[in-house]
Amino acid sequence: MERDRSALVLWLATVGRLVVGGVFLVAGALKLPDPAAAVRAVRAYRLLPEWLVAPVAFGLPVVEIAVGLALLLGVFVRTAAIASSVMLVVYIAGVGSAWARGLQIDCGCFGNGGQVAAGQTAYPAEVARDVGLLIVALLLARWPRSRLALGTHLTAPPTEKELLRAR
Amino acid sequence: MPADKGKRAAAQKRIAEKRAAEALARAHAERRRRVIVGGVVGAVLVVIAVIVVIVVQTQRTSTSASAAVPPHTTDGGNVIVVGNAAAPVTVDLYEDLQCPNCKAFEAASGATLAKLVAAGTVQAHYHPMAFLDTAANNNYSTRALNAAAVVVGTAGPDAFQKFHDLLYANQPPEKGSGLSDNQLISYANQAGATGPTVATQIRDLTYGDWVKKVTDQASKDGVTGTPTVKVKGKVLADLSPAGLTAAVDAAKG
Repeated sequence: MERDRSALVLWLATVGRLVVGGVFLVAGALKLPDPAAAVRAVRAYRLLPEWLVAPVAFGLPVVEIAVGLALLLGVFVRTAAIASSVMLVVYIAGVGSAWARGLQIDCGCFGNGGQVAAGQTAYPAEVARDVGLLIVALLLARWPRSRLALGTHLTAPPTEKELLRAR
Repeated sequence: MPADKGKRAAAQKRIAEKRAAEALARAHAERRRRVIVGGVVGAVLVVIAVIVVIVVQTQRTSTSASAAVPPHTTDGGNVIVVGNAAAPVTVDLYEDLQCPNCKAFEAASGATLAKLVAAGTVQAHYHPMAFLDTAANNNYSTRALNAAAVVVGTAGPDAFQKFHDLLYANQPPEKGSGLSDNQLISYANQAGATGPTVATQIRDLTYGDWVKKVTDQASKDGVTGTPTVKVKGKVLADLSPAGLTAAVDAAKG
């Protein structure tokens, strides 16, 4: 029984890794083809000084891709889960502040330049999605072990071979 | 002797256990070392990737300072003014030639605006944008706005207004393949922009960098959706003919 439950938890962690990692990888990759749109999307929040807009618009997708890959492959899962949690908190704060200020923007989460037709904002859905991902990311940060992870052997007990080599 | 033997066996066992524990500790230490090295290498790779991408994307978005600016534009080349520059009410229009909501606005309120301009009440300040480029429409937003720049440069703001109205009346569907360069050239001719350079400037995207620049400027102006219409600097919420007329009347004082 106990064994079955822990096996289930490990598989659930794998699903969580694939969901959060997949979303980050796709979100980052979609922002690369049109850098001018990425700049407009970041500027649309009206939170950053102009000199910071372009570096954030260009650099953030790379971090998203790196975190996404780490989660998908299952290496440095705890670090990647913490990093994605931090990013999600920032995104939720950004979208929430745009919402509170009554800005008419698209979150730009998956590329596109932040433009939105009047009355077409989707703040509740955007915040709900990010909160859902944040919960999964936090659970992964607390319990990073999962199945089908390349990094598993780093946390498991040493193998016979490693013990022999250490002798 | 048996007692001695027993002692020796116990000692040997202790030594073996100690060795095993040491080996385990070493194996753990070795593994920790490898994890740390892996982490540092990974972090360095991410930092390098961030820097490389920032440099590459900056290059991709940079526009030449000497980019061609179409003649007959104002405000650093960002604005096309239609109507009497002494007209009392300024109406700013931020539009993308591929945007369906702009087409709807033009269809509903374009004639009203034209009347107000003709009466000398309003000067229309067009701030064009191009952000609806796709692979499917062969970057139609950019091609259409470049063509509009060619028209204003060749034949002035009134021809631009005609070309602008023609392109909204004949706007291709948003998910479609856009108008061809030949169609754009033909509409440019209809609008009054003729001459040998019109076709080549439309085909060669002569004002491509200018298109990027004005689109970025609109974003810097805080515009995040099209159409954005401002009457005397104030964003107009009601885009209907009645809403436009009322706002212009109020602004006129």
